[in-house]
Amino acid sequence: MSQQISVRIDNELYTATEGRTILQVAADNGRSIPTLCYLEGLSAPGSCRLCLVEVAGVGRLLPACTTPARSGMSVTTNSDALAHNRLMALELLFIERNHVCSVCVSNGHCELQSMAQRLGMTHVHLPYNFPRLPVDVSHPRFVLDHNRCILCSRCVRVCDEIEGAQVWDISARGINSMLVAELDRPWGEAQSCTSCGKCVQVCPTGALVEKGQAVEEMTKRNRIVTDLAVKRGART
Amino acid sequence: MPIRDDSAFDAVRHAGIAKLQPGRPRIAIGMGTCGTGNGAEGVFHAFDEAIGRRGLDVQLVQTGCFGFCAEEPLVNVWVPGEALVILHRVRPDQVGQILDGMTGRALPNGLILCKVEQWDHITARLDYGSGYTSVLPWDEVPFFKGQQKIVLRNCGLINPDDIEEYIAIGGYGSLRKVLRESTPEQVNEELKAARLRGRGGAGFSTGIKFEYLRKAKGDRKYLICNADEGDPGAYMNRNELESDPHSLLEGMAIGGYVTGARHGIIYVRAEYPLAVHRLNVAIAQAQEYGLLGDNILGCGFDFDIELVEGAGAFVCGEETALISSLEGRSGRSRPRPPYPAERGLFGHPTNINNVETWFNIPPIITRGPAWFRGIGSDASAGTKVFSLVGKVTNTGLVEMPLGTPLSRFVYDVGGGSMHGHAVKAVQTGGPSGGCIPHNMLDTPVDYEELGKLGSIMGSGGMVVMDEDNCMVDVARYFIEFTHAESCGRCTPCRVGLDKALRTLTRITKGQGREEDLAELDELGRMIRDTSLCGLGQSAPNSVLTALRHFRHEFEDHIRAKRCRAGVCGDLALAPCENSCPIHMNIPRFLQLYKENRLEDAFESVIMDNPLPASTGRVCQHPCESRCRRQTIDEPINMREVHRVIADHVLLSDRFDTMAANVVAKRKPATGKRIAVVGAGPAGLTASFYLALLGHDVVVHESHAEPGGMLRYALPGYRLPRNVLDREVEIIRRLGVQFVLNSRIGADISLADLESRFDAVFLSLGTWKETQVRLSGNDLAGVFGSLHFLEAEAHGRQTDLGDAAVIIGGGNSAIDCARTVIRKGLSATVIYRRERKDMPAIAEEADAAEEEGVKFIFLASPHRIVGEHGAVTAIEVTKTRLGAFDTSGRRRPIDTGEVQVVPCSAIILAVGESADGELAAASGLATKSSGMLDIDRYDLTTSRANVYAGGDYVAGASNVVTAMSYGKEAARSIDRHLTGEPRFETIFPAFTYDQAPPEPIPCARHHAHFLPPAVRAKSFEEAVSALRPDEAHAEASRCLRCDIRETVAHAVSRG
Repeated sequence: MSQQISVRIDNELYTATEGRTILQVAADNGRSIPTLCYLEGLSAPGSCRLCLVEVAGVGRLLPACTTPARSGMSVTTNSDALAHNRLMALELLFIERNHVCSVCVSNGHCELQSMAQRLGMTHVHLPYNFPRLPVDVSHPRFVLDHNRCILCSRCVRVCDEIEGAQVWDISARGINSMLVAELDRPWGEAQSCTSCGKCVQVCPTGALVEKGQAVEEMTKRNRIVTDLAVKRGART
Repeated sequence: MPIRDDSAFDAVRHAGIAKLQPGRPRIAIGMGTCGTGNGAEGVFHAFDEAIGRRGLDVQLVQTGCFGFCAEEPLVNVWVPGEALVILHRVRPDQVGQILDGMTGRALPNGLILCKVEQWDHITARLDYGSGYTSVLPWDEVPFFKGQQKIVLRNCGLINPDDIEEYIAIGGYGSLRKVLRESTPEQVNEELKAARLRGRGGAGFSTGIKFEYLRKAKGDRKYLICNADEGDPGAYMNRNELESDPHSLLEGMAIGGYVTGARHGIIYVRAEYPLAVHRLNVAIAQAQEYGLLGDNILGCGFDFDIELVEGAGAFVCGEETALISSLEGRSGRSRPRPPYPAERGLFGHPTNINNVETWFNIPPIITRGPAWFRGIGSDASAGTKVFSLVGKVTNTGLVEMPLGTPLSRFVYDVGGGSMHGHAVKAVQTGGPSGGCIPHNMLDTPVDYEELGKLGSIMGSGGMVVMDEDNCMVDVARYFIEFTHAESCGRCTPCRVGLDKALRTLTRITKGQGREEDLAELDELGRMIRDTSLCGLGQSAPNSVLTALRHFRHEFEDHIRAKRCRAGVCGDLALAPCENSCPIHMNIPRFLQLYKENRLEDAFESVIMDNPLPASTGRVCQHPCESRCRRQTIDEPINMREVHRVIADHVLLSDRFDTMAANVVAKRKPATGKRIAVVGAGPAGLTASFYLALLGHDVVVHESHAEPGGMLRYALPGYRLPRNVLDREVEIIRRLGVQFVLNSRIGADISLADLESRFDAVFLSLGTWKETQVRLSGNDLAGVFGSLHFLEAEAHGRQTDLGDAAVIIGGGNSAIDCARTVIRKGLSATVIYRRERKDMPAIAEEADAAEEEGVKFIFLASPHRIVGEHGAVTAIEVTKTRLGAFDTSGRRRPIDTGEVQVVPCSAIILAVGESADGELAAASGLATKSSGMLDIDRYDLTTSRANVYAGGDYVAGASNVVTAMSYGKEAARSIDRHLTGEPRFETIFPAFTYDQAPPEPIPCARHHAHFLPPAVRAKSFEEAVSALRPDEAHAEASRCLRCDIRETVAHAVSRG
């Protein structure tokens, strides 16, 4: 029997089931906290740092996606400092690789892009890194474009946790982190890949896309993955 | 055979004691990594061979490191009944000597570091014996003074490979005690009461952490020792593991008993092969003796330890990443909660602690929590081991009570800075820590106090930095490290650190922008506040503290494109050029002279330095302090070479031609009019360049002749007036007009100058003498040094009687003393510090002594004694040197002992300052110190078109520093008046050999002093120039640090 607790989010008092995260309690009550790496139905890595919130009495910021709501907790999901940090994290994601919306197949259907709109990002202050990155077109149906990858690891998790194929992982570290299929071989040669396409559907940007799509044509259906996960009773 | 009862335990203990103190001499060689790195293996083999050859009955063993790494290899020699003697810097060829002298108390004196008569292993005491009365006990050696060895209690004394020696000094007694006498709850309470805090850096209460695990539900629990020490420059854990592995095993076993964990894991750096080896030996022995495994000591307690070698990533020191790595996954952090105590290794409750935390547990059990709490500060109990490295004389592992001020580490234990340079900062906490500036070295070292300054204690790295360290480069270095070690999981750490590194690298290359600093600060805070794990949260500390405490260094790199420390290679031509305040291209004029191109050399010199003959005589020559030639023999005598070059032109018939050559470089007239106030070195330099740039320059000078301090404060025997006159003549020929005997504020007003000129440069100098509050300073016969020297320069006689005392240690004091001597009187200089602390140029002080000037050091004036209104003597109190002050010198303290020095006159040479009248009258903004408030880079004041520089804004300094202001003023004024960066365009380019020379063996050439007896009676110039052949040879000594890459053809360098 899960216990009911009360949690204060942005000065509103909510009743919640113990064990649910701050993000989930907020969502249950119609409050949306910005996220990029998080996807309902998959485990939460807490890595994009957009969902950081302030919790009264805690000296540091906590990720809403992994922090369980506790009884009596008072959470602030939006403040000037939080907004500033989110915008900066988002800018860092933009400068890290080559996000050029106008020529992207996901233009108009991109979570990174819509997050920028939502957070009111008018322009990127910091100069872009413009790294030279490859595009893997070895798979017969899909494309991996590292230029658009934000290393959210949704693909890694969906392949591991839902499909059970464990094709994807992140290699190297720091700024050199790179999504790799199996032990860094071309996707098309990855023998464990079932070509199910779930990674493509959950990818928030134009990093994993279907072949044959032109600019603005690639739409993603990540709800199907979430629904599947919920039906299977995965962690939600 | 496993130990199951007390009699077996005691039997092992006695066997161990018989090994530690056998009935024959024992020699133990410090063979930690630091010892072997310094040749300890050779020493060991030499002993082994010699003992075998001589058939001596001597026990030879290996031990760990006693902590004084700078003095390795350390060798302990013990003869029954006598004190243990620790020898240092032992070489294999000294082994015979040691064996010869060992039994006759005749160990070679030079090798003896200290002795140990009795040692407190905390868990037991060991008496070695007495003897060697003249040898310092270990804790009176400066490096060890004040150290308290709790963690390092056994290091360097016992054989780490022998469990019996560990048991002999009380080892495993604490484990036995808790198993026999206490419940886990009781032990846990004791640890909480001891207030032991995690030594990995975060400082969380170990007792509370244990309690979490003890209360955690689960049939399987893990204890982990984090031995993944990865901070650059930190090696505390390595030494602890190499020297005393059983202390860790015992601490962990006690932890297992307290928490209910049965499985211990040591996660140790694979890069520590010796530690891995010794731990493996120790674990096997402990298992063999029944101290690990099932039914430990027959008490029914099971606990075992497994060793895992780390995967080689810095981030694996972070507990969640470490757990990932242990689980066989890549070492990446994950968010907490869940905390390891709830869900850790393989999902089981887990407790992770640093090596040093575990080491503290057995002593706390033996001596009790109250004893432990009594050490260190209130909030931070106990001691901490630090690795003290960097620019200090003594480096090594230092274990001090928490709360000890940083200054004690640097100055007492560390013995002060290595090359006599001033300490600039101490970096604590490794790459996650920050830099603490020298003026905050009083800070007590504990978790909270370091945190307040933006740094951390971390695992105990302590790097001392001096003025040769560039703080921008230090910040860049640490960010480069953390950026490379970031696991890449979270955005701020992955992308943010990379971004910060790009910006910092740009700044060190001289491509920084002013907005970079605000951006770095903003980015640093964001990374700190939003990163997922400790690595990212602490990584920006290095930048944030550098920005907070050393912002001016960043500004130097960005605005002046200068790195004063000379570290950032892209910002300096060569070390000499970088340390020269006016940045003369020294390698160039040396090379041109070497190529026998005297006229080119002169042009190179005078275009960089309009007063080349004057500075060639009196410059403080900071260029020499950084000259790389001194790593071979002595620095190049650069000053004397440019004196030779300048003299050959200025004082010869080449003068008119060469002067015309300079005048021909004058740019077309701009029509801009500039007033320079004060014709000292700063004003003359500014005038020279402003005239070259095509402006009309009028210099207003209150004295009858231009030159300022050069003419009126420097005695003629150092700087003959005809030399200065020639330099001024070139400035006149450039079109500069001099209005003499015209004092601003009296004869002209600033407002008047502002109305008639496009820009005004104020370089009034420091003509106000510092007043000394001294009883009797109103007596006849008390003079200010400037007053005295100026009167001399005017040819007016000052009545000094027959014996003058000069108070002070600067150049001015020495000038006065040498002038007094030349008048046939006696001169005594009284200075409150030691000779080496005198700010005066060392050669000048030496010359003064040769001429008969007497010095009294470590004495400060107390009272001037007079009779009939005239000076008869001065009473001075002797001082002794106390603690180091922020200048890196020891502070003089009055001893109360008074000495009377009879004299007929006293000259006070204790400093000068700027006259504040003009600033007050004209409303120029000043700083709290009363000095004019100017922009350090473009020299603008609070009034438009009014600039200021020289000693007037910097305080009394020296000729070349004042000139540097004049040069910068010309650059800045021209830029503001014309809107273009024209300054660099007036400098000629030369083509000369760019092949790096082979260093030739050649001693330094010194200028020729007249014999002391002759020069002491004469106002003639005391030092004559190098002969041309000497100057040529001296120029040839230059190593040409300005050459960056070898090219086939000689190329031009501007």
